[in-house]
Parts: sequence; C-alpha cells; structure tokens
Amino acid sequence: MSSDQIFVGLEIGTTKICVVVAEGRSEDQISILGVGETPSRGIRKGEIIDMGTATECVREAILDAEEKTNVEIGNVWVAISGGHLRSLNNRGIHVLSHPRQIEQDDLDQVQINAKEIAIPPQNIFLHTILQSYHLDGNRNVIDPLESEGMQLEADFHIVHGMKTRIHNTLRCVESLKLEIEDVVLGSLASAQVIVTQHQKDLGVLVVDIGGGTTDYLIYQDGAVRHSGVLALGGDHITNDISVGLKLPIARAEALKIQEGSATDPVDSHGGVITLKNDPGFLGCEIDRRSLETIIHCRVREIFELIRDDIARNGGDLIGLLGAGVVITGGTARLPGIADVASAVLDQTVQVTTARNVGGPLQTFENPQYSTAIGLTKYARLVTRDLRPVGLLDRISRGFGGIFGRRER
Amino acid sequence: MSAELSHRLIVGVGNAGVAVLDLLAMEEPGFKGFLAVNNDPESLAGTVVRDCLSVPAGDPADGFLAIDEEFGKAVAGASSVVLCGGLGGETASFLLPALAIHAKSNGITVAACVGMPFSFEGKRRTELAETALGKLHAVCDAVAFIGNERLSGGTPSTTAVGEAFALADRTLLSCTRALHGMFSTSGPVRITRADLKNVLGVPGAKILFGSGSASGSNRLHEALEEALSSPLLIQHGKTTPGSALLGVKTVLLLLHGPSDLSFAEVQTAVSGIERIAGDKCQIKTGVLATLPVGSPLTLSIIASSGAGTQIAKASEAPASEVLPQTITTQTPESSTSTTFTEGEVPQPIRKTAKPSTFSARQSSPSKQTQGTLDLDTYQRGRFDKSEPTIVAGEDLDVPTFLRKGIKLSPPRRS
Repeated sequence: MSSDQIFVGLEIGTTKICVVVAEGRSEDQISILGVGETPSRGIRKGEIIDMGTATECVREAILDAEEKTNVEIGNVWVAISGGHLRSLNNRGIHVLSHPRQIEQDDLDQVQINAKEIAIPPQNIFLHTILQSYHLDGNRNVIDPLESEGMQLEADFHIVHGMKTRIHNTLRCVESLKLEIEDVVLGSLASAQVIVTQHQKDLGVLVVDIGGGTTDYLIYQDGAVRHSGVLALGGDHITNDISVGLKLPIARAEALKIQEGSATDPVDSHGGVITLKNDPGFLGCEIDRRSLETIIHCRVREIFELIRDDIARNGGDLIGLLGAGVVITGGTARLPGIADVASAVLDQTVQVTTARNVGGPLQTFENPQYSTAIGLTKYARLVTRDLRPVGLLDRISRGFGGIFGRRER
Repeated sequence: MSAELSHRLIVGVGNAGVAVLDLLAMEEPGFKGFLAVNNDPESLAGTVVRDCLSVPAGDPADGFLAIDEEFGKAVAGASSVVLCGGLGGETASFLLPALAIHAKSNGITVAACVGMPFSFEGKRRTELAETALGKLHAVCDAVAFIGNERLSGGTPSTTAVGEAFALADRTLLSCTRALHGMFSTSGPVRITRADLKNVLGVPGAKILFGSGSASGSNRLHEALEEALSSPLLIQHGKTTPGSALLGVKTVLLLLHGPSDLSFAEVQTAVSGIERIAGDKCQIKTGVLATLPVGSPLTLSIIASSGAGTQIAKASEAPASEVLPQTITTQTPESSTSTTFTEGEVPQPIRKTAKPSTFSARQSSPSKQTQGTLDLDTYQRGRFDKSEPTIVAGEDLDVPTFLRKGIKLSPPRRS
C-alpha cells in the first residue's frame, strides 16, 4: 500500500486525544485501520494550557495508534477548536479589465479580495470556505472557470482565530517530529462523516458536543453558512454536578456517565441514587431529580446559546433546515439530549456517528471519534488534486489559501 | 473664565498636560471640568479646552502670581482636582506643586498624575523632576508618576524616540483618566479617597499602572489582558503579564464602561487580578457604568510597590523648603469647611496640619471602612483558575442552575 493513501487525523480534545489512521479508497471513501487514544491532560476547553503534559499525551496516543495499525505516522491532519475561533461571511469582488474567460488566477484573486476584511490584529485566517460564485449578476454559478465574464463575485464563509493559540497546537504536534498537513475546524471535520451531501443541500445543523467545547456548523444549499464554537461541553456538566451535589470531580464524572440524563426533570420518575463509600469519600444518597435538573439546565442553555447565535448572525437559518439537526461528540451519548435540542431548536434531531466509512464497527459507532474520523475523510477529499505546498507557506497565507475552493 | 465648572476638575499643566486634556476633551465632549494652564500661547490657542489660564512667559514664580487669583476662582467649589503634566521642564516642575498647594489650601482633594523624563533628556531635567515630585508628594493626597524610562523597558536606545514619547503620552492620558474615574465612582462599589491615598500617597513608591479597553462579548477578558500587558505591570526582566503585581498589598481596580456591565464581569476582573497578585492582596474595586450600551469597557489597574529613597528624602524635607517660595506666606482657608468624607482630615500644607494626626494616618493605611465585595456567591469549581467563558456578560463557567437560582435538594450522607 502506498503511504500517500494513508491519512492520520489527530484530535487534541479536552477529554481524550484521539488518533485515527485511515486508508484512502476509491470514490472518496476511507477505511479505518485503527484508532490510538489516551486520556487528555493539560488541556482545558479545547486549548492547551500545559504544553509539556499535553505533548506527552499526544505522543502516547500516536504511539498507541502506530502499535495498533503498524503504520509509522509522519504526517497528521489536526483538528482545532476553542472559544477564540470566530466566523463571518464576506463577499469578494474581482472586476476584470475587459470581458474574457475566467481563469484559475481570477478565482484565487476573488478569494484574496474576500479576505480584505478587518479581523483582530492577533487573529489569523483558518478557513475561507466557498459558498457560491456570481458572474456578471448571474447568481449561484457553480463553476465559473472558462465562462466568459467581466465581474466575478464570490461569497465565502471565513473562520479566524487567535494566532498564538493556533500556533500552540501546532507547536505541540511539531515537537513530536510530526509534519502537519493542515489544521481543520473541528466541526468541519466532523461534518464530513456524519452528514451526507444530500443533507448539506437540504440544510442541516451539525453540533459536535465534546468535553471542553461545543462546535457547530450550519449547511444550506450545500455550503457552510455559519459556524461557531462555544467553550462549553461535557466538562461543564461534570463541574455543575460536582458543585451542585458537592461531589469530587471524578465521582461527578462517573455519576454523569452512569446515571446522567438530560431529560426535563418535569418528566422525571424521581427516585434516589445511592453512592457507596470509597476511600476518602463518604457515601451519600442523591435525589435523581436534582441530578437531572443540573444536567438539563446546562444542556438546554448550550442549545439556546447556539440558537441565539445563529439567529443573530444568520437570521432564520434554523427554520429553513430541511434535514434537521445532527448531534455528535462524546456528550451526545447523554440520554435525552436529542429531546432537549428538539425542544429548543424546534427541529427534528438525531444523534449520529460516522457513516459511510469502512473499518472496525466499534470505532465509527462511537460519536467521540467523529472529528478524528472526519479529519481523515476531509484529508481524502482535499488531497485528490492537491499540489504540494509546505506548511510554512500555508501559515503565511493563513491556512485558507489552498483549500478555499475545495471545501464543501 | 467660565464660572460654571464641574465639582471634579482636571487641570493640565504645560504642553504635555494640555495635550492630555485635549485628548480627554475629545473623548468626553460634555464634561466641563477641564482647565488648561500653560505659558505657551500657541498651545493654548490650539487647544479644544474652553477654560484656559495663560501664564505670562518668564520667571515661573512671577507667572504663578499672575494667575494665582484666577486659579483660585476656577477651583473654588471643586471637590477634587487631578493635576496632570510632564515634569522636568521649568514651567510644569514649578507650576504643578504650586497649583497643588493652592488647591489643597482651599480644602480640595488633590491628586497628581505626572510623567517623569527619560534619562536621555538630560540630568538637569531629571533633577528638576525629582525635586518637583518630592514637593507634590508632600502636598497631594495621591501622586501617580509614570517613569518613562520603565515604559520603554529600560532600553530606550532600541525604541524610536517618537514612539517612546507617544507611549509616555498615552500612559499619562490613561492614568489621568483612571484617577479622574476613581474620584467619580459612587455607590456601593466605589474607590474612596482614602483608598487612593493608601496606594498613591506613599512617597517614592513605584507606581504600577495598566489600562486596557475592549468591546464585544469577551470585552472583560480582552481589556484585562491588555491592562496586564502594560509595561508598568511587568516586572523588570520578566515577560509574564501582571508579574509586577505579585505580592502587592492593595490594588485599585476601575471598570469604566457601558451600563450593561455585569456583576459576573466585575467578579471575573477581581478574580483575574487576585490570581496574579495573591490571596492576601486587597482589591478595591470601583465601577463606573455610565456609558451607553455598546461603548467599550475600560479597565484600569493602579497599585504601588516598594519605596524609593531619593524621592522619599525630598518629601521629608521641612515644609518651608517644600513650598515654593512665592506662596509660603499663604495661609490656608478654614480646613473645616471642606468636602472630605469618611472622617478624613485634610492635609493642605504641613505647616498647618496637626502633625500627630498626619503621622497616625500615614502609619496606619490599613484602617479601611469600605466593605468588600462578596465573591463567594458563585462557584466556578474546576474552572476557577481557567479563562472564563463569557457570553453576553455572563460567566458560563458558573453552573447554570446557580445562575438561574434553582434550588436542589442536598445529598444525604448515608
């Protein structure tokens, strides 16, 4: 098997670090060879707060993946998240001196023009995702290349984030002598494997609720219309339980996994949960309704924040979703989460895992792995006709440079 | 001269002081309490400040006598005066202490915010500035001096001259604005004059000052980050933002911003500083949420550390030496008819203040009457030491059920 058909996705998550090794197949398909993972340390809310410890964890996860797949990992695709990421939509306009056939350089130029916007000085562009082209007033031209025209316009969804924080992730990976192929917005990676092109065309909201962050992305007419990251996730639920029920964090986490439910406490059957004595922990009895209240409040708030953010930036995009809402990520396993989302967003909601990939069933049936698997699929789609460009070139261009045209 | 003046006055002295006033006046066009004092007719002709006192050129002492009466009228009825300017020049070095004494003798609380010259400006300027600073310390309730040398990290040779002066001017402006803002705070979360005096009334102490401004959903964090990154808040030889605050006893924190400034943001700012300065640090917070919604939030931090010797010596000099010769004969007006609050004893000129009262106040700065902000209301748990997630002014790390005030049944120990 030639090494250029192997794709490695690395997600440095708040709860776990996950490395997915996949093999590229024909027709844009991928097959998972194996997954390496390790619990995270030194990472909070999706961002590295202790470089040394985090780097060590990434090393362990990479070694685990190498051992399981017998593949020597040299190049990785890295997912990025964090509350510092921001997005906006902007239109680039490129006027030609005289009517002529549109060339590749014109498409590049309109993308450059779209990035002529004020972002905070400490930020860099992460993605410039094409939404649609307009040629001489002819709207939504799918491919203007070789068409004749004079004024080329293009709408882009632009994602930017703090340079230093993005660099921290890069530095962590590069210190392990790994070459970074590219960094990808977490929700964009997840979307590659959990929704189909048909769903993207109809309109779908992808919500990836992880341990430290909640990433969301909304597709309409096949293009990304809005994206966002909330620095809130499963860790907050655990913390709320710990504060509310006066339990140590580890106990609260175990209670969330074993007994947690996001169901509205109004519908609760009530009852008591007994926590047994442990060394250093005095057992106690907990009202189930209290636990459900804590979790429900937090989960509901997360979906309300997403709804309000989309309404603020994209108008009634949620009302226009033809394919509803799709939830993934580790916290998606919380029972009752789809009902809460459905009540808040007034849409059909399903909890989904990676689809249309080959490999061990238990890997892609777990929503925790969606982002890392999505990275490999993204890599497969992007590298089909990619010209070789060094990472440094990409950093100087702000990452969006080479992928703008291809990200769908 | 217009008789209508605000109760809080900002007086800009000399070219640097007038330049600061101009910038402040443009920021706050409605505010009437600006007074520009200078002997440079060109500077006064170009200023946007309405009330100006032109000092005749020549001997500054003669100049002061010429404007003495008018200045007295201008400050009459004011509750506080903030004097600002750059020390080192003949005019400002003489006029600033002289005006401070005059205002103080009228029973007004006086604070001074002054810039000290760079070393490359020459020894003569530095000496003049230090003498003037000593005099200011002797009369003013609070003195904030910006050591320009510290601003440029002690290596002015690598900094462009224009840039160094611009940074000095900006810092002087922010500091004057912060002092004025602190005087303006009222209500339950305010900074009292006693607080200001405790922090800025110690002669020779090094001033730690930082200010940051931001708007948007993460405004508090961004403003705090900018403030802590100020060169005056970074310890020499280190790069960690706010490192100079480690171990200081008292920090004055002013939050000046839009009316939707939330409790959570105040709390975040306080805990952010506490994290750096240590648990023993007392944070005196003042909130001025008077601007329209959408205006940027400005966060200012003032503290002081250590005590210099040279400047302390100057302020220990007998009062007759401290006072400019031309006005030693002035007698302060009745010090009982002042606007001091919280049992403060005015200290206009040492000659007339009761020495015992003065020394007692100096030696027991910890006697505070202000209540402290209750910060234990909310619990952030494991996120206590991490960067807060603020959306629409709400700290989302605090459990949702707590913020919504939902009561839970407590766990029963078996």
